[in-house]
Amino acid sequence: MILFLQQVLNGLIIGSTYAVVAVGFSMVFTVLRVINFAHPDIFMVGMFTGLAAALHVSDNIVVALIGGAIGAGLFGLVLERLVIRPLRGRDVLMTLIATLGVAIMAENGMAVLKGPDPLPFPALIGLTQFHLGGVQIGERQLLNFALSLAVLGFASWYVRSTRFGRATRAIAERPDVAAAFGVNVDVISQITVVLASMMAGVASVSVAVLYGNAWAFAGLLYGLKSFVVMLVAGNRYFEGVMAVALGLGVVEALVTGYLSSSLSDAVAFFLLIAVLFVRPSGLFGSYGS
Amino acid sequence: MGSFGFWQPIIIFSLLNVILTSGLYITALSGQLSMATAALAGIGGYVSAVLTANFDWPFVPAILVAAVATAIVGGLLAALMVRMRDFILKLTTLAFGEAMSVIAFNIPYIGGANGFSGIPLYSTMTDVVVVAALAIFVAWRFDGSQLGLASRAVRDDPLAAACNGVSVRQVRVTTFALGSAVIGAGGALSAHYVLLVTPSQMGFYFSLTYIIFLLFGGLQSLWGPLVATVLLTAAPEVLRFANEYRLILYGLIILLVILWRPNGLITRRPLGPGGRGPQSGTPSDIAFSGSRGSAAVDRREVETPIGTASD
Repeated sequence: MILFLQQVLNGLIIGSTYAVVAVGFSMVFTVLRVINFAHPDIFMVGMFTGLAAALHVSDNIVVALIGGAIGAGLFGLVLERLVIRPLRGRDVLMTLIATLGVAIMAENGMAVLKGPDPLPFPALIGLTQFHLGGVQIGERQLLNFALSLAVLGFASWYVRSTRFGRATRAIAERPDVAAAFGVNVDVISQITVVLASMMAGVASVSVAVLYGNAWAFAGLLYGLKSFVVMLVAGNRYFEGVMAVALGLGVVEALVTGYLSSSLSDAVAFFLLIAVLFVRPSGLFGSYGS
Repeated sequence: MGSFGFWQPIIIFSLLNVILTSGLYITALSGQLSMATAALAGIGGYVSAVLTANFDWPFVPAILVAAVATAIVGGLLAALMVRMRDFILKLTTLAFGEAMSVIAFNIPYIGGANGFSGIPLYSTMTDVVVVAALAIFVAWRFDGSQLGLASRAVRDDPLAAACNGVSVRQVRVTTFALGSAVIGAGGALSAHYVLLVTPSQMGFYFSLTYIIFLLFGGLQSLWGPLVATVLLTAAPEVLRFANEYRLILYGLIILLVILWRPNGLITRRPLGPGGRGPQSGTPSDIAFSGSRGSAAVDRREVETPIGTASD
């Protein structure tokens, strides 16, 4: 029972990071109809700008998080302007491949700059372990989980309760009609990409603190899974994406704990196949289907 | 065939990729852009590896059986997907590819996670050249055949195609099976050259390579993808002078070509009276159905008398 609870907890913590990356992925896909394969590398860039901030500005965790968010946000801004916008309205696969080209450049570029091996990330917060009736949770895990929830809460509030969020949903529903009603599609698209990037930047720094390293290829681990999470959930409700991401984290952790870690990576794909056959537009429904 | 020194492996890998791209082109022509190319090639590789290594089959029958087995798997997959369209179809092939990889991972008989090793070395330069030429010939003949025209009709508008007497199910299953056969033969040939088949090489990122070849070259003709395959397979090797910067350059080349020619490297000038080439600024005429802007797909093909393409 202790093992079960421990694995559920570990799964929720991993899942919360999947959720942040997947929600960003999904926001960009929903608004721009673009599968941004560079999104995991925006996450990676945030990790390194967070590292730079921690090393050169101050070893305060807040500074590192802001550094990560700003770095990732700027990368997203440039990506939107130079790559995504010229290709908007093209086939989904064209932008997928163009952003994949960016991803290859970003990963290998960072590997040239900082070396192909993981770099140690400074210990910005302690290693205290808390015990809750046999279940352990570390200070860093707690931070990672809390930050992810905060970011997800912010995304949810932004989309539901702000003017920009309403415009975002309007574009997701019918881009042409939204534009006819005076929504500036270019601006909202740009804001969406930058926001999704900054969320990924925050998550990346908290992951780097959790595992104690920053790696040029860190994005790969999260990329394909977040993509699958978005498809399984459907892109209509962010809350659905979050729920599926957390659920996937838990199931993976349980498979690792009770069966084998080699099977845990397959869970996502079996889930995807099952959902595609039963509900092709995702568990919670998608726009435009 | 003589030795080409440094270039020999590059030529062989380019031609192996040309075989797989030809197969994917056939599949994609009926609107089923498969994201499972690497998985299908892996199936071909495993079948041929087991037959030659464990049952002492000779080379040629093993490759033929591998092609047939892959065609059957591909045909079954296409039959399952016959009602799916566009994005969902692509995703199903993606999931299928990953599932195949996981299944191979968990079968100890074919080596599990370590892959199948101890495959006899059979593929020579000559074999690869012959099969590549054959694959190109099949794809080229297919492109201009009645089935090829029916495929384009199904890709552009399944409903209209069906109304004109084209059996969507038949066209889709046949093209997928034919493409899979070519891919399976290519995978088998590759297995007898690399001497190893692993579950990881059946995964999504490997399949994506072939989609890059296809879209980089442009889906409007067979020659675009073939040129792109050779260029992009050789690129990382040719770029070796750039040392650690070579993959950055590789990514940059892909990005710039997509931005510069969003319909791919080689585009087709629509034939017939008043046919005009794709102009800059006109709506996308990407040869896919379903996405925004693709209504203007290669008009020539939409306007061909589909009735003659049906039976």
